[in-house]
Amino acid sequence: MTPDQNMSSKFRAALRNELAIWIQKGIVTEEAAKQLSSAYELDNLRHESTRLLSAVIFTIGGLLLGGGLISFVAANWEVIPTPIKLTLLFATLLGIHTIGFWLWHSKNWGRLGHALIFCGCLVFGANIGLVAQIFHVSSSWYGGFVAWALGSLVMAWAIRSWIIGVLALGTSFIWFLGFQSDHDQSASVYPLILAIALLPLAWIIRSRVLYAGTLLGIVISACVLAGYQGSGRQLLFTMAAGGMFMWTLGELHRASAWRVEFANINRGLGLGLLALAAYVWSFHYLWDASVFGPMRSLWAFLFLSLAIAFSLLMWTRARPTQPLLTAGVLLAGGILCATSLLSGATANISDGEFLFTFTTNLAALIVAAIVIAVGLIDERRLAFWLGSLYLVLLILSRFLEYETSLLVKSAAFLVCGVTVIIAGISYEKYLRRNAAGIEASKGVGHE
Amino acid sequence: MSKRASLVAFIVAVAIQTLILVAVPARKVFTRATGKTVILKVQPVDPYSILSGYYATLGFDISRVEAFPNAGMFQGFSDGDWFYAIVEKGEDGTWKPISLERELPDNLPDNRAALLGRINHGAIRYGIEEFYIPEAQRDRIADDLRRNVDKARVEVKVDRSGHAALERLIIEDRIY
Repeated sequence: MTPDQNMSSKFRAALRNELAIWIQKGIVTEEAAKQLSSAYELDNLRHESTRLLSAVIFTIGGLLLGGGLISFVAANWEVIPTPIKLTLLFATLLGIHTIGFWLWHSKNWGRLGHALIFCGCLVFGANIGLVAQIFHVSSSWYGGFVAWALGSLVMAWAIRSWIIGVLALGTSFIWFLGFQSDHDQSASVYPLILAIALLPLAWIIRSRVLYAGTLLGIVISACVLAGYQGSGRQLLFTMAAGGMFMWTLGELHRASAWRVEFANINRGLGLGLLALAAYVWSFHYLWDASVFGPMRSLWAFLFLSLAIAFSLLMWTRARPTQPLLTAGVLLAGGILCATSLLSGATANISDGEFLFTFTTNLAALIVAAIVIAVGLIDERRLAFWLGSLYLVLLILSRFLEYETSLLVKSAAFLVCGVTVIIAGISYEKYLRRNAAGIEASKGVGHE
Repeated sequence: MSKRASLVAFIVAVAIQTLILVAVPARKVFTRATGKTVILKVQPVDPYSILSGYYATLGFDISRVEAFPNAGMFQGFSDGDWFYAIVEKGEDGTWKPISLERELPDNLPDNRAALLGRINHGAIRYGIEEFYIPEAQRDRIADDLRRNVDKARVEVKVDRSGHAALERLIIEDRIY
């Protein structure tokens, strides 16, 4: 196992810094430090950051190269006889892939090789369109995307590539959007296909982007299904349950230390889904609409069941603050789900308008509090600011939504602005105090 | 993964991509190679939606269920339903709608053909409605189609199972 597969560069950079302090403190011997340094290839960190930059450049270069080749062929399309057109298409695809694979296995050009294979997968997608043009293949607009997704998926597995996996995810999602609008119920299996096809790959290659992207794809596709089946409250239920599912899965990763690098991105996306659901349904006029049909989504109930199961599994191994935050998330998500279910039981939805608006706003406030708490507990500046801004957005939306005098609205803006500034200053002071405390404790350790 | 295993996996992936690329036009290639030539008259289409990207959207007599004398037997059809459209060669060389059938008829005479169609948003689609055109000819073909749509025909091939493949668009004596 290489360090790339095991630990993030961030962790290894922190380990390199800490090792020097540990040697000084006598926590580890120089020999042990050397072994750790060798095991995690800490000396290569600087080269790796350069390689990452080159990978980005190579990928962009690959994209431009692919685009250039396709444009060249397209520009000369009319004068090229069909057999030569086909030969060109296949030769371009095979040529890029072959060179890419050869470079991928060479010692110094692995990332360029990977970028070329990615470029080959883009050319593959363009070729599907061009071959369809040559033979006037007429099908639904989304038909080609399923072929592109399938070819990309196979290649993602073959070379264990997260970026080609993301390509397969994106193209299959485009296909799903078209297919489900034509076929409704038979598209319900798509989230399951996504889970089977991409989650194991993301797990094996430890790709946070592919893992969280696939989970988000699963939840969003379930939301799309819920929305297209004509039920607004089903969409609310699915989003809320999906948010709880992603948060609790992230917390389980954190508590169990299984692929701990997947924890934060899942927690963040879970909170994002809950925040979005609570915000959208916090407007009172939405509850006045008569678009609330029956609950049919099995996916929503599956998300909810998994969220409960993950919470129970996580509870025994949780860090001190984890149960509190998860309880908050389950409370907010639970309020949203209960509101959705309750709205179905109400004969005339507008009768419950006040109650439903109140509960969704309450859920939104809880979500804002959780995000700010994450910022405080984990000392994550982005979370603190996002939570504060979400809270401000919520308050201002209420003031703008209801008919209040201009003076009251202006006071609300002023109070929000001043509160955000004071909260920000207090938070920065809090971070500085904590940092000073850590430095002081290190100093005591050195003495 | 060993180098040998990754090479095998890579070759399998490239082979699958190649197979997909071959499979996309396979049906049309087969139909073109084995099918019967049928000329269909192009019907006026919405002039504002003739061109969509790099293809022209075409409509035909046989795109309308009502064009078939036995259309009354097929009331209550819904999207996704399949039909066989029976067409017969007319005196002007174009093929006219004769009847709609649920099953593929046996032993059709040479002057008749069965096209497999599917109901989509109230019209019958045969997979020959999109004619791809090169960028340089886009405006010329669109203009020609708008002006001379009553003289436009398409040459299609229809195989034994009713699948159709578009060969060319003909407007008067201009072949695209």
